[in-house]
Order: sequence, then structure tokens, then C-alpha cells
Amino acid sequence: MGVRLLVLAVLSVALMVVDARFSLLKPARSQASLVLMDAYWITDLPGRLWEGVASQFGSRTELVAENEKLKTENLLLQGRMQKLAALTEQNVRLRELLNSSALVNEKVEVAELIGMDPNPFTHRIIINKGERDGVVLGQPVLDARGLMGQVVELMPYTSRVLLLTDSTHSIPVQVNRNGLRAIASGTGNPERLELRHVADTADIKEGDLLVSSGLGQRFPAGYPVATVKEVIHDSGQPFAIVRAVPTAALNRSRYLLLVFSDNRTAEERANDAAQAQENLDALGGGPVIPATVPKTINSPAAAAAPVTPPATPAAPASATPATPAKPVTKPAARPAASAPAAAAPAATHTARPAAKPPVAAPATTGGRE
Amino acid sequence: MAGVKASRNGWIVWVTFAIGMLLSVSPLPQFMEILRPLWLALLLAFWALAMPQTVGMVTAFCLGLAEDVLYGTLLGQNALILTLITFLVLSLQQRLRMFPMWQQSLVILVIFGLAQLVQLWLSALTGNRQPTLALVLPALTSALLWPWVSFALRGLRRRYKIN
Repeated sequence: MGVRLLVLAVLSVALMVVDARFSLLKPARSQASLVLMDAYWITDLPGRLWEGVASQFGSRTELVAENEKLKTENLLLQGRMQKLAALTEQNVRLRELLNSSALVNEKVEVAELIGMDPNPFTHRIIINKGERDGVVLGQPVLDARGLMGQVVELMPYTSRVLLLTDSTHSIPVQVNRNGLRAIASGTGNPERLELRHVADTADIKEGDLLVSSGLGQRFPAGYPVATVKEVIHDSGQPFAIVRAVPTAALNRSRYLLLVFSDNRTAEERANDAAQAQENLDALGGGPVIPATVPKTINSPAAAAAPVTPPATPAAPASATPATPAKPVTKPAARPAASAPAAAAPAATHTARPAAKPPVAAPATTGGRE
Repeated sequence: MAGVKASRNGWIVWVTFAIGMLLSVSPLPQFMEILRPLWLALLLAFWALAMPQTVGMVTAFCLGLAEDVLYGTLLGQNALILTLITFLVLSLQQRLRMFPMWQQSLVILVIFGLAQLVQLWLSALTGNRQPTLALVLPALTSALLWPWVSFALRGLRRRYKIN
């Protein structure tokens, strides 16, 4: 019996080492998960059945009330989107002036939560989209209010998502108000992130919105991550203690969005930018539409995506008045500076560079600032 | 691991393992999640005591691998833990059978507590260090559940004459 224990123990240690160091066991794992991950689906079934039954027997008044509420909400969102379309268009044009690639639209897909990690000390969830649905490792996951986390394990029809608040997770962020960069680390508490190594004198206040900065090349830039809850200046500590609350409902959201950002690598993006610069130089500084802009725009805009629709109406509009960029710059700076961040994650981040055009077109904006 | 004579109704054992696996991933309220009993370990302990010729360390190892896939831990981590638990139960088997229920619970508490400490150590190695010793709590709930699980499974075994 002791021999058998020894053999099995050595075997499991060997398996652990191989699994940690190499990707040799990944196929076996994903095959096994085909069958085993159904356990999550099955344990989720009673809840889903209950939901189904509840919706069957939901009273008419309730449904009418909900319908009313949704209509109101829809109206509000539509209203916001009108503004967003204009801002997106402006943004694309300003970025053309700056020769930087437009990062306006990303494709998203809706996924559903089917299980939580049983270990209470890790913050991971299981969603019902996997490798066969085109999910990739490291893909960012959002909910309606902000970033939730990233995909850390792929299985054929499911995947595991590490949430922002897990104690092993960190995300590069910046303060939406002034662009101050920091790193938000999870604490293991679902309602708290901590900004590490923020200087005591840094301009960061309670209530500041933190958006993803996109610097780690993992998360797309400009999505809301957290709001600063408290800033503690302790003279005994080398850095300020900054605590923030994630904007996403990390432990409540059932429907999540998977973001498919453009799949160019950083190198390709740099090459594209360089190409655009060359074109610009060849033409003698005229306003050139960089090759990157149409590339991002004609990516399939899914109807389900809340972020994508504004880009599609914006594209033809921005294409026609390519040259008269000057009159448009005037109204550009104002709304960009005052636009509330929560309204449009994609637009607000990308709106910031609107302050830079003085370099490209000093005549237009120089007088205003 | 097959016994000398063909085991009867052996599939029921596997059904209980499947149910145990479902229970070990079923959603629980947040405050109870920390207390989630080690269902697979409990079932393994019972079946290893009841029919050591069919359920042994190899079964434990395979179930542990399945649990690793479910939990997303390193392949082999839970396998090692479950193998260890089964080994301890099997080596104490003669005594455990003689013990009254409360004493069995006590032994189960110690064995599972040890296993959870090994678990803590292994997850610390992989970088997921738990901040507290609360990880030992499941051992306690499992020990408290042991009499009930034991009675229920014994009833099941008599009913279907599993051996």
C-alpha cells in the first residue's frame, strides 16, 4: 500500500510540475473538461429553471412595468448615443490629423455566467463561451458598467475568467480626469482594488474614475475600471494608500461581454502608423487618411454590441468631409473635456487626444486655449 | 483494483461520486462557501472503508484529476490530496471500523485537516496563497457531516446490496 501511495504521489507531483511549466497537458485537460464542465451547467440548472418558471408566471403588471422601464432606459441610451456618434466621428477625424490609429470600435459578444469557482479565496468565474466560440486567452471581459477581468483558461465550450479583484491580478489604469497612470491590484475583497506605489503628492482624489490605460497590451484602453473610494496619506508610509471600488458588478452580473479588440500585434500597429507617417511625408503634410482607419471601421459591427453602433454611422460621415477638419475642431475640445466618463467609455478615452491638435493645427485651436 | 468476485451494483458507487462532484461545484451563498464540505473526500473515505477491494487509491487519484479539471487547479494537486486521504483512511481502516461514530468523526477531522494543510502548502507554491487558516474549516464541516453521510451511504449499500 505504501508503494502505491509513493507511486501515485510521485506521479501527481510530476503532473503538477509538467502542468505548471509546459503546455503538454493542455489538450488532455480540454478533452476532460468537455465532459466535466457540464457539472457547472447542471448545478446552474435549478436556478435557470426557476428563472424560466418565474418568467412564465410573471404577472402582466410586472411585465408592463419592466417594459416601461426598459423603454425609458433605451430612450436615454439612444439619446446618449446620438452624442456619441458625433463624438466618435470627431474623434476619428482628429486622430486622422494626428496620424494615430483609431481605436473606436471593438467587437463584443455576450456570454453568460454559468458558475463560480468553488474556492472562496480565488475570484474566478466560468462563462459559457469557449475556444470554439473564438474566445482567446487573455481576452478582456466586461459587464454593462466596466471591466470585469480576463480569460485565463480556455476550454472547448467554456472558459474561466479571472476577476480584477483576485489577489493575483493587476491592471494598468489611469485617472480619467488627468491621465495619471497607476496599477490597480486586486485584494481578494470583491469590493476593493488598491493602487500600488502612488506618490504621496500625486493628483488623485476621492471619486476619480479610473479607466484602463491599455498599457499592458492586454486590456483595451478607455474602459472604466473603478472609482477611487479613499486616499490615505500616511506620513509613515512611502506611498499614498489609494483604495478603489470596481465599477463592474463583479459578484452580481450574470451577462458579460467578451471584447474582441483588433488582432494586430503592437508591432503591426507600429508598422501601420509608420506607413501612414511615410504617406504623410510623401504628400507634404496634407491630411491623409491613414490606412489603419478604414481597417478598424469595416470590422464587422455586431448588432448586439453597445460599443460598435456609433462607429458605423460615423464612418461614411467622416469619409466625405475629409478636408474641412478645421471648423469641426472648435466644438471638439469643449465636449471632450467635459464629457462625463461614465457615459461613453470608448469615446471619453479617445476624446482626450483632442486637446493635442494645437501641434497639428495651431491656427484653429491655439486661440482658444 | 477489481475484486476477486465481480462487484454487484458497483455503478451506484460511481453515481454517488458523480453527485459528490456536482455538490462540490454547486453554488453556495458567500458565507457558506468557506465551509463547503469536502464531498469527494467524504465519499471516498466511506467507500474505502466499506469496500477497500474496489475503491482505493487509484480511484482517489482519478477522481482527484477530475476535480483538478473542474477547479482549474494544477493537474495532480487534488489528486495528491485525495490519494493521501484515502491512504490514511485505509491504513487506519481496522481501527476506524471498531470506533463509535463520534470517534470516527474525530479521526476524519484530523485526516482532512492534515490534507487541507497540504492543500494550503501546494496552493502557496503555485502563488495562490490564502491569507488565512480558514482553509481548515471545511475539514470541520466534513467531520460534522460524516455521521450523516455514513448512515445514508450505509442504508444505500444495504438497500442495493453493493459489494
